[in-house]
Amino acid sequence: MNIAGFYDESISNGVGWRAVLFVSGCPHHCPGCHNEKAQSFTYGEPIDKKNLLQRIQENSILRGLTFSGGEPLCPENIAEVLDFLYEVKKIKPNFDFWCYTGYTYEELLKRQDPVTEEFLNQIDVLIDGRFILELKDPDLTFKGSKNQRIIDMKKTREKKSIVLWENE
Amino acid sequence: MKIIKRDGRLCEFDRQKIIDAICAAMSRTEKGVDLQIAGRIAEEIEKFCEGKNEFSVYEIQDMVEKKLMDSSRKEVAQSYIIYRYNRDVARKSKTKDIFLDIIGAKANDITRENANMNADTPAGMMMKFASETTKPFVDDFLLESDVREAVKKRYIHIHDKDYYPTKSLTCLQHPLDKILNEGFRAGHGSSRPAKRIETAAFMGCISMETIQNEMHGGQAIPAFDYYLAPFVKKTFQEEIKKIGEVISKDCSHLMNYQPEDYIRKDAGDLKGDERYLQVAINNTVNRVHQAMESFIHNMNTIHSRGGNQVVFSSINYGTDTSAEGRCVIRELLNSTLEGVGNHETAIFPIQIWKKKRGINYEPTDRNYDLYQFACKVTAKRFFPNYINLDATFNQNNLWKEEDPERYRYECATMGCRTRVFENRFGEKTSIGRGNLSFSTINLPRLAIEAAHLAQERTGLYFPLGEGSEKHMTRIYKDTVLRIFMNRLEYYCDLTARQLYERYQFQCTALAKQFPLLMKGMWMESEKLNPDDRVEPVLKHGTLSIGFIGLAECLVALIGKHHGEDENAQKLGLKIITFMRDLCVGYAEKYNLNFSVLATPAEGLSGGFTKYDKHEFGIIKGVTDKDYYTNSNHVPVWYKCTAEHKAKIEAPYHDLTRAGHIFYIELDGDAVKNPESVQAVVDLMDKYNMGYGSINHTRSRCMNCGFENADANLERCPKCGSTDIDTIQRITGYLVGTTSRWNSAKLAELHDRVTHDECCGKESE
Repeated sequence: MNIAGFYDESISNGVGWRAVLFVSGCPHHCPGCHNEKAQSFTYGEPIDKKNLLQRIQENSILRGLTFSGGEPLCPENIAEVLDFLYEVKKIKPNFDFWCYTGYTYEELLKRQDPVTEEFLNQIDVLIDGRFILELKDPDLTFKGSKNQRIIDMKKTREKKSIVLWENE
Repeated sequence: MKIIKRDGRLCEFDRQKIIDAICAAMSRTEKGVDLQIAGRIAEEIEKFCEGKNEFSVYEIQDMVEKKLMDSSRKEVAQSYIIYRYNRDVARKSKTKDIFLDIIGAKANDITRENANMNADTPAGMMMKFASETTKPFVDDFLLESDVREAVKKRYIHIHDKDYYPTKSLTCLQHPLDKILNEGFRAGHGSSRPAKRIETAAFMGCISMETIQNEMHGGQAIPAFDYYLAPFVKKTFQEEIKKIGEVISKDCSHLMNYQPEDYIRKDAGDLKGDERYLQVAINNTVNRVHQAMESFIHNMNTIHSRGGNQVVFSSINYGTDTSAEGRCVIRELLNSTLEGVGNHETAIFPIQIWKKKRGINYEPTDRNYDLYQFACKVTAKRFFPNYINLDATFNQNNLWKEEDPERYRYECATMGCRTRVFENRFGEKTSIGRGNLSFSTINLPRLAIEAAHLAQERTGLYFPLGEGSEKHMTRIYKDTVLRIFMNRLEYYCDLTARQLYERYQFQCTALAKQFPLLMKGMWMESEKLNPDDRVEPVLKHGTLSIGFIGLAECLVALIGKHHGEDENAQKLGLKIITFMRDLCVGYAEKYNLNFSVLATPAEGLSGGFTKYDKHEFGIIKGVTDKDYYTNSNHVPVWYKCTAEHKAKIEAPYHDLTRAGHIFYIELDGDAVKNPESVQAVVDLMDKYNMGYGSINHTRSRCMNCGFENADANLERCPKCGSTDIDTIQRITGYLVGTTSRWNSAKLAELHDRVTHDECCGKESE
């Protein structure tokens, strides 16, 4: 898997300071994409896990890791993304994990794929849905267009129905 | 025989100078130079003057003119007069150019020296004229010759040199309780003690406005919440009394009621006393809110100091856990969040949150809710900044939670970073004290010169700067460090002496020259009579030796800066520890409060660099920018994580007791993520740092009010307007538009990096 980039720390991709992994490759091709170059699966460089893990390990300001892209949850990427999540969890057990995806939560459930299900079990927040330029609103927090949802996965798993995330 | 030069200094008579001048005049005549006549005239003048005391340059020139008129070369006299006149004009033309720059309201570095001052107004111009003419006066008459040389060659910078002749002190942390409880007299009117929150807040404002005109630096209130809290109570009682009058009932039994917290609630369903109390609380909260709003508004609009400068004001707060103190804090934060006027960010006062464990830092602490609120306000309005009272050096053993006056032992800071706490002559406190004066040492210059000397001595020549370490031998390294440390000691000694001389000069001022400051506001000044010299009380102030460009200094010495290399960090700490130890020595020697300052570099960062670049050329990583890095900071252009920056800069805070600040640049919009601000305060807590804040950008659409954190916002993404106001921070002060920044600071802003790296933008 190639990655388009890695933020050691960012305050714009979820609550608190977060590391952000931008995965290369995306099937959605939304018009107005913020990261068009990363739509290619060959863009960027192969992921250097050891290096990234060390950078995450050394940084105590981080509250969590956010997956972005590209599309972290397309079939080509999801297994390796899940793998990386496990490894980060090993060194940072208290981390919370956010993930941006162009798929909707319902689309992901429909896959009936154990890897996808496991990934959804592991993460804390999912921001779902395609980016729709006409619905773009600069006032939105942690998302680009109004159709997208910030889903609190923990509560969603408990309630077994979608619960939107609210900042405490 | 001595000659008095134009600047008043004395020098030996030199016959050759007369010959040179006459020959210069002769060379512009048809008959040309006649050395014999020139020599004879010079000799006659020397004979005439011999045995006599002193002559001015002008008297000598008059003699030359007369001798030429009497000689066979009368036409030379005319040439000489023209020559003399042209030289005089040339000498004055520098002043003329500076004056024309001020008059023309040009955007150059003289009128842009201070980002918070409007030098284009008539009063502002008047101040610049005065400032530019007092500086040479200070050079010529008030400085020792070696100090003057050191200033001229940019080894050191004397801050507020233009104010030197006025004997003014720098800044003050106001003991506001004195004014609030005793009233005061300022200008042509007097004020009675305050009785309610509105007057109390306004008197705080007047106190800072008035004393600003008696000093040359900033004004601060060290415990804003504690000072104003009693007047919240008085306001509440006033409201109770009013209710009693309205309902014609005796409410005196409610007068001493102590609310748990002053929170506005609907009183509609309440009955009897409960209802009266809630209405009184609601009205009190409203009035406190109004008072805070006017306070902020006044601090941003009332121009004092000759009518061109708002007060460089700061307020410290956050530790008063009483219901009344909490009400002050909450409403201050609410007003700050709302903004002034058309919801714009208030530039003043600089607000400083006093972070303290057990009071407001941990989730179980009484003021934790207000701390969280403060972080939210910082995210949107830059302020408050955060002073860490838990840092080992900011603690005072006398602080006891049950002591109602515990704020006396809480360290307060000036917003810009000036810190006054330790005192050789009394308890550690900030209150009623301030800095007397400070001067800054140009570390990169000392390093470059040391490197040149070391190269000469070792015969090892290579280009200095980034990457030069590969050329360095053991012997070279030892040599360059030895030379550097020696020179640093020399210039610290010189600076300490200069500060002491200025102090002695300040001591000759009479108390009446600072009518409010020396009437009890400065520590122990209440015992002075108006005609007394201020000497006995000045000892409570501090004298500070600052430094600039540690990063560039290290690159010049060993090829790397402290942000990127462990050895450089070790050396950096060694250098600043050395300066600290020297200051401990000066404190003993002069028996005064000497300390090291991590200088905020406004106006200075460009001046040093420009001069050094001219002399030494471009040295990579040293003189290749338009500025030197602020004090001990990791260079703004160096990419690293916030935590790395914290780790590197933290140990310098303990060494720089005259003041320091830690900044983190944010990459995004903290308004949407106030937790990110708390995480920065956590870093300060973890690494024992004294004072810090976040830097980010707020761009605001003046048409629809949309705001975001984009520094380059040109068109509003909501309404399309191009009327955008962008606010950023410069040496601790907020600045609305960057056009008032000087060129060095603009360059620094351009190079600032946020603490992340990668290709993409945010995932939105």
